[in-house]
Amino acid sequence: MADVLRSLRHGDGSVLAVACAQALGAAGVAVSVLVGEDQGVEPLWRSPGVAAEFEELQFTLGVGPGPDAARTGTAVMAPDLDTVRPDRWPTLLTEARKLGVVGVCCFPLGLGAIRLGVLTVLASAPGATMPEQQLADALTLAAALTGLLLEGNGSRPVGSGTVMGPPMELHRAVVHQATGMVSVQLDVSLSEALLRLRAFAYSRDLPLGDVAGDVVARRLRFNDDKDGPHSPGSRKG
Amino acid sequence: MIGMAREQRLAEIFMEVADSLTEDFDVLDLLQRLSTRCVELLDVSAAGILLADALGELQVVAASDEHTRLLELFALQHHQGPCVDCYRSGAARTNIDLTSPGATANWPRFATRARETGYVATHAIPLRLRDRNIGALNLFQKSPHQLGESDIALAKALAGVATITILQQRTLEQSHIERTQLQTALNSRILVEQVKGILSERWQTSPDEAFFAFRSYARSNHLRLADFATSIIAGDFDTAAIPVPGS
Repeated sequence: MADVLRSLRHGDGSVLAVACAQALGAAGVAVSVLVGEDQGVEPLWRSPGVAAEFEELQFTLGVGPGPDAARTGTAVMAPDLDTVRPDRWPTLLTEARKLGVVGVCCFPLGLGAIRLGVLTVLASAPGATMPEQQLADALTLAAALTGLLLEGNGSRPVGSGTVMGPPMELHRAVVHQATGMVSVQLDVSLSEALLRLRAFAYSRDLPLGDVAGDVVARRLRFNDDKDGPHSPGSRKG
Repeated sequence: MIGMAREQRLAEIFMEVADSLTEDFDVLDLLQRLSTRCVELLDVSAAGILLADALGELQVVAASDEHTRLLELFALQHHQGPCVDCYRSGAARTNIDLTSPGATANWPRFATRARETGYVATHAIPLRLRDRNIGALNLFQKSPHQLGESDIALAKALAGVATITILQQRTLEQSHIERTQLQTALNSRILVEQVKGILSERWQTSPDEAFFAFRSYARSNHLRLADFATSIIAGDFDTAAIPVPGS
Protein backbone atom coordinates (compact mmCIF):
# COMPACT_ATOMS: atom_id res chain seq x y z
CA MET A 1 0.00 0.00 0.00
CA ALA A 2 2.83 2.39 0.83
CA ASP A 3 4.33 1.87 -2.64
CA VAL A 4 0.99 2.62 -4.23
CA LEU A 5 0.62 5.80 -2.22
CA ARG A 6 4.09 6.94 -3.21
CA SER A 7 3.37 6.44 -6.91
CA LEU A 8 0.01 8.23 -6.84
CA ARG A 9 1.44 11.56 -7.87
CA HIS A 10 3.15 10.45 -11.04
CA GLY A 11 1.52 7.23 -12.12
CA ASP A 12 -0.71 6.46 -15.04
CA GLY A 13 -4.40 6.34 -14.07
CA SER A 14 -5.45 2.85 -15.07
CA VAL A 15 -2.16 1.32 -13.89
CA LEU A 16 -2.65 3.02 -10.53
CA ALA A 17 -6.22 1.82 -10.28
CA VAL A 18 -5.08 -1.76 -10.83
CA ALA A 19 -2.27 -1.33 -8.30
CA CYS A 20 -4.69 0.12 -5.75
CA ALA A 21 -7.15 -2.71 -6.29
CA GLN A 22 -4.35 -5.23 -5.74
CA ALA A 23 -3.02 -3.47 -2.66
CA LEU A 24 -6.51 -3.31 -1.19
CA GLY A 25 -7.36 -6.85 -2.16
CA ALA A 26 -10.41 -5.49 -3.95
CA ALA A 27 -12.14 -6.59 -7.15
CA GLY A 28 -11.79 -3.11 -8.53
CA VAL A 29 -11.22 0.52 -7.68
CA ALA A 30 -12.53 3.70 -9.27
CA VAL A 31 -12.02 7.37 -8.55
CA SER A 32 -14.42 10.00 -9.85
CA VAL A 33 -14.20 13.73 -9.34
CA LEU A 34 -16.81 16.43 -9.06
CA VAL A 35 -16.19 19.26 -11.49
CA GLY A 36 -17.54 22.73 -12.12
CA GLU A 37 -20.33 24.75 -10.57
CA ASP A 38 -22.92 22.00 -10.95
CA GLN A 39 -20.56 19.42 -9.44
CA GLY A 40 -20.93 17.06 -12.36
CA VAL A 41 -19.19 13.72 -11.97
CA GLU A 42 -16.25 12.80 -14.17
CA PRO A 43 -14.07 9.72 -14.08
CA LEU A 44 -10.49 10.28 -12.96
CA TRP A 45 -9.28 6.72 -13.11
CA ARG A 46 -10.77 3.24 -12.91
CA SER A 47 -9.45 -0.26 -12.96
CA PRO A 48 -10.65 -1.80 -16.21
CA GLY A 49 -13.56 -4.23 -16.38
CA VAL A 50 -16.20 -4.44 -13.73
CA ALA A 51 -15.13 -1.32 -11.77
CA ALA A 52 -15.23 0.87 -14.87
CA GLU A 53 -18.63 -0.51 -15.85
CA PHE A 54 -20.08 -0.16 -12.37
CA GLU A 55 -18.84 3.42 -12.03
CA GLU A 56 -20.33 4.28 -15.40
CA LEU A 57 -23.59 2.67 -14.37
CA GLN A 58 -24.04 4.44 -11.06
CA PHE A 59 -23.15 7.87 -12.35
CA THR A 60 -25.30 7.44 -15.45
CA LEU A 61 -28.25 6.45 -13.29
CA GLY A 62 -27.32 9.11 -10.75
CA VAL A 63 -28.05 6.71 -7.90
CA GLY A 64 -25.91 4.35 -5.89
CA PRO A 65 -23.37 4.42 -3.10
CA GLY A 66 -21.03 6.66 -5.12
CA PRO A 67 -23.54 9.46 -5.78
CA ASP A 68 -24.77 9.10 -2.17
CA ALA A 69 -21.24 9.46 -0.79
CA ALA A 70 -20.56 12.43 -3.10
CA ARG A 71 -23.78 14.15 -2.07
CA THR A 72 -23.61 13.57 1.68
CA GLY A 73 -19.86 13.59 2.28
CA THR A 74 -20.26 10.36 4.27
CA ALA A 75 -18.85 6.92 3.51
CA VAL A 76 -21.50 4.56 2.14
CA MET A 77 -20.86 0.94 2.94
CA ALA A 78 -22.62 -1.87 1.08
CA PRO A 79 -20.07 -4.69 1.47
CA ASP A 80 -22.76 -7.27 0.62
CA LEU A 81 -25.25 -6.18 -2.04
CA ASP A 82 -27.60 -9.02 -1.05
CA THR A 83 -28.26 -7.30 2.27
CA VAL A 84 -29.04 -3.91 0.75
CA ARG A 85 -32.70 -2.89 0.93
CA PRO A 86 -34.07 -3.63 -2.57
CA ASP A 87 -35.71 -0.20 -2.85
CA ARG A 88 -32.53 1.66 -2.00
CA TRP A 89 -31.07 1.77 -5.51
CA PRO A 90 -33.52 -0.46 -7.41
CA THR A 91 -32.22 -0.40 -11.00
CA LEU A 92 -28.61 -0.16 -9.96
CA LEU A 93 -28.78 -3.28 -7.78
CA THR A 94 -30.16 -5.39 -10.60
CA GLU A 95 -27.63 -4.14 -13.12
CA ALA A 96 -24.72 -4.36 -10.66
CA ARG A 97 -25.43 -8.03 -10.02
CA LYS A 98 -25.41 -8.66 -13.75
CA LEU A 99 -21.93 -7.13 -13.85
CA GLY A 100 -20.85 -9.46 -11.07
CA VAL A 101 -20.56 -6.84 -8.35
CA VAL A 102 -21.00 -8.49 -4.94
CA GLY A 103 -20.30 -5.58 -2.62
CA VAL A 104 -19.22 -1.99 -2.83
CA CYS A 105 -17.98 0.71 -0.46
CA CYS A 106 -17.68 4.37 -1.41
CA PHE A 107 -15.60 7.00 0.35
CA PRO A 108 -16.06 10.73 -0.12
CA LEU A 109 -13.01 12.81 -1.04
CA GLY A 110 -13.13 16.30 0.39
CA LEU A 111 -12.47 18.75 3.17
CA GLY A 112 -15.47 19.88 5.21
CA ALA A 113 -18.03 21.25 2.77
CA ILE A 114 -15.54 21.07 -0.09
CA ARG A 115 -16.51 17.98 -2.06
CA LEU A 116 -13.93 16.74 -4.51
CA GLY A 117 -15.01 13.28 -5.55
CA VAL A 118 -15.54 9.67 -4.56
CA LEU A 119 -13.37 6.59 -4.17
CA THR A 120 -15.27 3.40 -4.99
CA VAL A 121 -13.94 0.02 -3.84
CA LEU A 122 -15.54 -3.16 -5.13
CA ALA A 123 -15.45 -6.11 -2.76
CA SER A 124 -13.82 -9.31 -3.99
CA ALA A 125 -16.25 -11.34 -1.87
CA PRO A 126 -19.42 -10.30 -0.03
CA GLY A 127 -19.04 -9.75 3.71
CA ALA A 128 -21.04 -8.33 6.59
CA THR A 129 -18.43 -5.60 6.93
CA MET A 130 -15.43 -4.53 4.95
CA PRO A 131 -12.31 -6.32 6.26
CA GLU A 132 -10.61 -4.16 8.90
CA GLN A 133 -7.28 -3.81 7.10
CA GLN A 134 -8.94 -3.11 3.77
CA LEU A 135 -11.04 -0.41 5.36
CA ALA A 136 -8.04 1.21 7.03
CA ASP A 137 -6.16 1.13 3.71
CA ALA A 138 -9.13 2.51 1.79
CA LEU A 139 -9.43 5.43 4.21
CA THR A 140 -5.71 6.11 3.90
CA LEU A 141 -6.02 6.03 0.13
CA ALA A 142 -9.01 8.39 0.30
CA ALA A 143 -7.00 10.82 2.44
CA ALA A 144 -4.06 10.66 0.02
CA LEU A 145 -6.35 11.21 -2.97
CA THR A 146 -7.96 14.18 -1.24
CA GLY A 147 -4.53 15.74 -0.78
CA LEU A 148 -3.68 15.05 -4.39
CA LEU A 149 -6.94 16.49 -5.73
CA LEU A 150 -6.51 19.64 -3.68
CA GLU A 151 -3.03 20.05 -5.12
CA GLY A 152 -4.10 19.27 -8.64
CA ASN A 153 -6.74 21.95 -8.42
CA GLY A 154 -4.66 24.19 -10.66
CA SER A 155 -2.49 25.29 -7.77
CA ARG A 156 1.05 24.34 -6.93
CA PRO A 157 1.94 22.06 -4.06
CA VAL A 158 1.88 23.78 -0.70
CA GLY A 159 4.80 23.61 1.67
CA SER A 160 6.11 20.18 2.47
CA GLY A 161 2.86 18.36 1.81
CA THR A 162 3.40 14.76 0.87
CA VAL A 163 1.21 12.46 -1.08
CA MET A 164 0.31 10.72 2.18
CA GLY A 165 -2.52 13.16 2.69
CA PRO A 166 -3.48 16.78 2.79
CA PRO A 167 -0.53 18.85 3.99
CA MET A 168 -0.61 19.29 7.74
CA GLU A 169 -1.41 22.96 7.31
CA LEU A 170 -4.76 21.98 5.86
CA HIS A 171 -5.77 20.55 9.23
CA ARG A 172 -5.61 23.80 11.09
CA ALA A 173 -8.80 25.49 12.23
CA VAL A 174 -7.60 28.91 11.03
CA VAL A 175 -7.21 27.60 7.49
CA HIS A 176 -10.84 26.47 7.37
CA GLN A 177 -12.04 29.68 9.02
CA ALA A 178 -10.03 31.78 6.57
CA THR A 179 -11.43 29.70 3.68
CA GLY A 180 -14.95 30.60 4.82
CA MET A 181 -14.05 34.28 5.20
CA VAL A 182 -12.38 34.53 1.79
CA SER A 183 -15.34 32.79 0.15
CA VAL A 184 -17.53 35.66 1.42
CA GLN A 185 -14.99 38.35 0.53
CA LEU A 186 -14.73 37.13 -3.05
CA ASP A 187 -18.21 35.63 -3.34
CA VAL A 188 -16.75 32.33 -4.53
CA SER A 189 -17.08 28.69 -3.51
CA LEU A 190 -15.11 27.33 -0.57
CA SER A 191 -12.89 25.29 -2.85
CA GLU A 192 -12.01 28.36 -4.90
CA ALA A 193 -11.43 30.36 -1.73
CA LEU A 194 -9.00 27.71 -0.47
CA LEU A 195 -7.27 27.75 -3.84
CA ARG A 196 -6.87 31.53 -3.70
CA LEU A 197 -5.45 31.32 -0.19
CA ARG A 198 -2.97 28.66 -1.22
CA ALA A 199 -1.97 30.46 -4.40
CA PHE A 200 -1.32 33.62 -2.39
CA ALA A 201 0.73 31.74 0.19
CA TYR A 202 2.69 30.01 -2.55
CA SER A 203 3.39 33.19 -4.50
CA ARG A 204 4.73 34.94 -1.39
CA ASP A 205 6.48 31.84 -0.12
CA LEU A 206 4.57 32.04 3.15
CA PRO A 207 3.13 29.15 5.18
CA LEU A 208 -0.58 28.73 4.46
CA GLY A 209 -1.30 28.82 8.20
CA ASP A 210 0.30 32.27 8.53
CA VAL A 211 -1.70 33.67 5.63
CA ALA A 212 -4.89 32.15 7.08
CA GLY A 213 -4.04 33.61 10.49
CA ASP A 214 -3.70 37.06 8.92
CA VAL A 215 -7.08 36.71 7.23
CA VAL A 216 -8.79 35.63 10.46
CA ALA A 217 -7.10 38.48 12.39
CA ARG A 218 -8.28 40.83 9.60
CA ARG A 219 -4.80 41.90 8.72
CA LEU A 220 -5.36 40.61 5.20
CA ARG A 221 -8.40 40.83 2.95
CA PHE A 222 -9.04 39.30 -0.44
CA ASN A 223 -10.87 41.69 -2.74
CA ASP A 224 -11.66 40.93 -6.32
CA ASP A 225 -9.96 44.03 -7.66
CA LYS A 226 -7.45 42.15 -9.80
CA ASP A 227 -4.62 43.43 -7.63
CA GLY A 228 -4.98 40.54 -5.29
CA PRO A 229 -5.21 40.64 -1.55
CA HIS A 230 -4.00 43.51 0.53
CA SER A 231 -3.81 44.66 4.09
CA PRO A 232 -6.62 46.93 5.28
CA GLY A 233 -5.29 50.40 5.97
CA SER A 234 -2.40 50.15 3.55
CA ARG A 235 -4.66 50.95 0.65
CA LYS A 236 -8.32 51.65 -0.02
CA GLY A 237 -10.38 48.46 0.04
CA MET B 1 -19.49 16.70 50.70
CA ILE B 2 -17.56 17.87 47.66
CA GLY B 3 -17.32 14.25 46.57
CA MET B 4 -21.08 13.83 46.81
CA ALA B 5 -21.75 16.93 44.77
CA ARG B 6 -19.38 15.71 42.12
CA GLU B 7 -20.84 12.24 41.99
CA GLN B 8 -24.23 13.74 41.52
CA ARG B 9 -22.90 15.99 38.78
CA LEU B 10 -21.33 12.99 37.08
CA ALA B 11 -24.60 11.09 37.26
CA GLU B 12 -26.31 14.06 35.65
CA ILE B 13 -23.78 14.06 32.85
CA PHE B 14 -24.36 10.37 32.17
CA MET B 15 -28.08 11.09 32.07
CA GLU B 16 -27.54 13.98 29.72
CA VAL B 17 -25.51 11.82 27.37
CA ALA B 18 -27.93 8.90 27.55
CA ASP B 19 -30.82 11.24 26.79
CA SER B 20 -28.95 12.67 23.86
CA LEU B 21 -28.14 9.37 22.17
CA THR B 22 -31.28 9.42 20.12
CA GLU B 23 -31.26 8.19 16.57
CA ASP B 24 -30.43 11.55 15.06
CA PHE B 25 -28.28 13.08 17.76
CA ASP B 26 -25.61 15.67 17.08
CA VAL B 27 -22.22 14.19 17.81
CA LEU B 28 -20.35 17.49 17.56
CA ASP B 29 -22.65 19.30 19.92
CA LEU B 30 -22.61 16.48 22.43
CA LEU B 31 -18.81 16.26 22.40
CA GLN B 32 -18.60 19.99 22.85
CA ARG B 33 -20.95 19.81 25.84
CA LEU B 34 -18.88 16.98 27.23
CA SER B 35 -15.72 19.09 26.92
CA THR B 36 -17.29 21.89 28.93
CA ARG B 37 -18.45 19.35 31.54
CA CYS B 38 -14.85 18.13 31.87
CA VAL B 39 -13.79 21.68 32.65
CA GLU B 40 -16.49 22.10 35.30
CA LEU B 41 -16.11 18.74 36.92
CA LEU B 42 -12.34 18.47 36.97
CA ASP B 43 -11.81 22.15 37.70
CA VAL B 44 -9.45 22.61 34.76
CA SER B 45 -9.23 25.58 32.40
CA ALA B 46 -9.82 23.94 29.04
CA ALA B 47 -10.58 20.56 27.54
CA GLY B 48 -10.50 19.18 24.04
CA ILE B 49 -11.27 15.89 22.34
CA LEU B 50 -8.87 14.74 19.63
CA LEU B 51 -9.40 11.88 17.20
CA ALA B 52 -6.90 10.13 14.97
CA ASP B 53 -7.66 10.51 11.27
CA ALA B 54 -7.11 7.90 8.57
CA LEU B 55 -3.41 8.70 8.57
CA GLY B 56 -3.09 8.32 12.34
CA GLU B 57 -2.75 12.05 12.94
CA LEU B 58 -4.69 13.65 15.76
CA GLN B 59 -7.28 16.27 14.90
CA VAL B 60 -9.41 18.21 17.33
CA VAL B 61 -13.11 17.39 17.07
CA ALA B 62 -14.49 19.38 20.01
CA ALA B 63 -13.24 21.84 22.60
CA SER B 64 -14.59 23.47 25.74
CA ASP B 65 -14.17 26.85 24.14
CA GLU B 66 -13.59 27.92 20.60
CA HIS B 67 -10.77 30.35 21.12
CA THR B 68 -8.54 30.06 18.14
CA ARG B 69 -5.46 29.98 20.36
CA LEU B 70 -6.74 26.88 22.09
CA LEU B 71 -7.66 25.22 18.78
CA GLU B 72 -4.18 25.97 17.50
CA LEU B 73 -2.69 24.34 20.56
CA PHE B 74 -4.55 21.13 19.80
CA ALA B 75 -3.54 21.42 16.16
CA LEU B 76 0.13 21.52 17.12
CA GLN B 77 -0.23 17.94 18.28
CA HIS B 78 -0.06 16.23 14.91
CA HIS B 79 3.25 14.57 15.31
CA GLN B 80 4.30 15.52 18.81
CA GLY B 81 2.81 16.46 22.14
CA PRO B 82 1.36 14.71 25.17
CA CYS B 83 -1.73 13.60 23.22
CA VAL B 84 0.40 11.94 20.56
CA ASP B 85 2.35 10.05 23.25
CA CYS B 86 -0.90 9.08 24.90
CA TYR B 87 -2.52 7.99 21.63
CA ARG B 88 0.49 5.91 20.61
CA SER B 89 1.02 4.21 23.97
CA GLY B 90 -2.60 4.02 25.10
CA ALA B 91 -1.43 5.20 28.53
CA ALA B 92 -2.67 8.34 30.27
CA ARG B 93 -0.15 11.14 30.71
CA THR B 94 -1.22 13.19 33.69
CA ASN B 95 -0.02 16.17 35.72
CA ILE B 96 2.55 17.24 33.17
CA ASP B 97 4.27 20.38 34.39
CA LEU B 98 4.48 22.65 31.34
CA THR B 99 6.97 24.90 33.11
CA SER B 100 9.46 22.08 33.60
CA PRO B 101 11.96 21.68 30.74
CA GLY B 102 12.50 18.05 31.78
CA ALA B 103 8.82 17.11 31.62
CA THR B 104 8.37 18.75 28.24
CA ALA B 105 11.71 17.81 26.66
CA ASN B 106 10.04 15.75 23.92
CA TRP B 107 7.85 18.55 22.65
CA PRO B 108 9.34 21.93 23.51
CA ARG B 109 7.40 23.81 20.82
CA PHE B 110 4.09 22.61 22.14
CA ALA B 111 5.09 23.44 25.73
CA THR B 112 6.16 26.95 24.77
CA ARG B 113 2.92 27.66 22.95
CA ALA B 114 0.87 26.23 25.82
CA ARG B 115 2.69 28.45 28.33
CA GLU B 116 2.22 31.48 26.10
CA THR B 117 -1.50 30.75 26.16
CA GLY B 118 -1.36 30.77 29.96
CA TYR B 119 -1.36 27.07 30.75
CA VAL B 120 0.96 25.58 33.34
CA ALA B 121 -0.15 21.96 33.42
CA THR B 122 -1.70 19.49 30.98
CA HIS B 123 -3.12 15.96 30.97
CA ALA B 124 -3.79 13.52 28.16
CA ILE B 125 -6.23 10.63 28.62
CA PRO B 126 -6.56 8.00 25.88
CA LEU B 127 -9.84 7.33 24.10
CA ARG B 128 -9.86 3.58 23.75
CA LEU B 129 -12.12 1.25 21.89
CA ARG B 130 -11.49 -2.32 22.96
CA ASP B 131 -7.81 -2.80 22.11
CA ARG B 132 -7.55 0.15 19.77
CA ASN B 133 -6.66 3.75 20.59
CA ILE B 134 -8.81 6.21 18.69
CA GLY B 135 -7.76 9.55 20.18
CA ALA B 136 -7.26 11.48 23.39
CA LEU B 137 -8.93 13.79 25.86
CA ASN B 138 -6.65 16.75 26.50
CA LEU B 139 -6.96 18.93 29.61
CA PHE B 140 -5.22 22.20 30.37
CA GLN B 141 -4.82 24.09 33.64
CA LYS B 142 -3.95 27.69 34.31
CA SER B 143 -3.35 26.99 38.01
CA PRO B 144 -0.80 24.41 39.08
CA HIS B 145 -2.93 22.19 41.38
CA GLN B 146 -2.41 18.45 40.87
CA LEU B 147 -5.22 16.20 39.73
CA GLY B 148 -5.60 13.36 42.23
CA GLU B 149 -6.35 9.72 41.56
CA SER B 150 -10.09 10.20 41.77
CA ASP B 151 -9.88 13.10 39.32
CA ILE B 152 -7.96 10.94 36.87
CA ALA B 153 -10.47 8.12 37.25
CA LEU B 154 -13.21 10.62 36.52
CA ALA B 155 -11.36 11.94 33.48
CA LYS B 156 -11.06 8.37 32.21
CA ALA B 157 -14.79 7.84 32.69
CA LEU B 158 -15.49 11.00 30.71
CA ALA B 159 -13.11 9.84 27.98
CA GLY B 160 -15.10 6.61 27.85
CA VAL B 161 -18.33 8.54 27.47
CA ALA B 162 -16.78 10.52 24.62
CA THR B 163 -15.79 7.29 22.88
CA ILE B 164 -19.29 5.88 23.17
CA THR B 165 -20.74 9.12 21.86
CA ILE B 166 -18.55 9.14 18.77
CA LEU B 167 -19.30 5.55 17.91
CA GLN B 168 -23.04 5.95 18.32
CA GLN B 169 -23.31 8.19 15.31
CA ARG B 170 -25.75 7.08 12.73
CA THR B 171 -24.20 6.19 9.42
CA LEU B 172 -26.00 5.94 6.13
CA GLU B 173 -25.88 2.20 6.20
CA GLN B 174 -26.37 0.50 9.55
CA SER B 175 -23.10 -1.38 9.45
CA HIS B 176 -21.03 -0.47 12.48
CA ILE B 177 -18.00 0.83 10.73
CA GLU B 178 -16.17 2.65 13.43
CA ARG B 179 -13.39 4.08 11.34
CA THR B 180 -15.74 5.81 8.95
CA GLN B 181 -17.58 7.29 11.93
CA LEU B 182 -14.37 8.86 13.19
CA GLN B 183 -13.78 10.23 9.71
CA THR B 184 -17.27 11.70 9.55
CA ALA B 185 -16.88 13.38 12.94
CA LEU B 186 -13.59 14.94 11.87
CA ASN B 187 -14.99 16.16 8.59
CA SER B 188 -17.98 17.68 10.39
CA ARG B 189 -15.55 19.60 12.52
CA ILE B 190 -13.89 21.10 9.41
CA LEU B 191 -17.33 22.03 8.12
CA VAL B 192 -18.03 23.95 11.32
CA GLU B 193 -14.73 25.83 11.04
CA GLN B 194 -15.62 26.82 7.47
CA VAL B 195 -19.04 28.11 8.51
CA LYS B 196 -17.46 30.05 11.39
CA GLY B 197 -15.37 31.85 8.79
CA ILE B 198 -18.37 32.57 6.56
CA LEU B 199 -20.48 33.94 9.41
CA SER B 200 -17.71 35.95 11.03
CA GLU B 201 -17.06 37.65 7.68
CA ARG B 202 -20.74 38.35 7.06
CA TRP B 203 -21.21 39.73 10.53
CA GLN B 204 -17.73 41.19 11.01
CA THR B 205 -17.34 39.37 14.32
CA SER B 206 -14.67 37.03 15.63
CA PRO B 207 -14.98 33.33 14.69
CA ASP B 208 -15.67 32.55 18.38
CA GLU B 209 -18.63 34.94 18.50
CA ALA B 210 -19.89 33.63 15.17
CA PHE B 211 -19.73 30.08 16.48
CA PHE B 212 -21.61 31.00 19.63
CA ALA B 213 -24.47 32.58 17.66
CA PHE B 214 -24.47 29.68 15.19
CA ARG B 215 -24.63 27.08 17.95
CA SER B 216 -27.29 28.93 19.93
CA TYR B 217 -29.51 29.07 16.86
CA ALA B 218 -28.89 25.40 16.07
CA ARG B 219 -29.68 24.32 19.62
CA SER B 220 -32.86 26.32 19.97
CA ASN B 221 -34.08 25.06 16.60
CA HIS B 222 -32.95 21.46 17.12
CA LEU B 223 -30.62 21.46 14.15
CA ARG B 224 -27.51 19.33 14.03
CA LEU B 225 -24.43 21.54 13.79
CA ALA B 226 -23.04 19.76 10.73
CA ASP B 227 -26.40 19.76 8.92
CA PHE B 228 -26.98 23.40 9.76
CA ALA B 229 -23.48 24.30 8.57
CA THR B 230 -24.08 22.41 5.33
CA SER B 231 -27.28 24.28 4.55
CA ILE B 232 -25.69 27.65 5.33
CA ILE B 233 -22.73 26.88 3.06
CA ALA B 234 -25.04 25.65 0.29
CA GLY B 235 -26.96 28.94 0.54
CA ASP B 236 -30.15 27.10 1.50
CA PHE B 237 -30.55 29.02 4.73
CA ASP B 238 -30.88 32.78 5.11
CA THR B 239 -28.45 33.62 7.89
CA ALA B 240 -30.25 36.91 8.49
CA ALA B 241 -32.55 34.78 10.65
CA ILE B 242 -29.74 34.21 13.15
CA PRO B 243 -29.41 36.94 15.78
CA VAL B 244 -26.10 38.69 15.07
CA PRO B 245 -23.72 38.62 18.03
CA GLY B 246 -23.31 41.91 19.84
CA SER B 247 -26.31 43.63 18.25
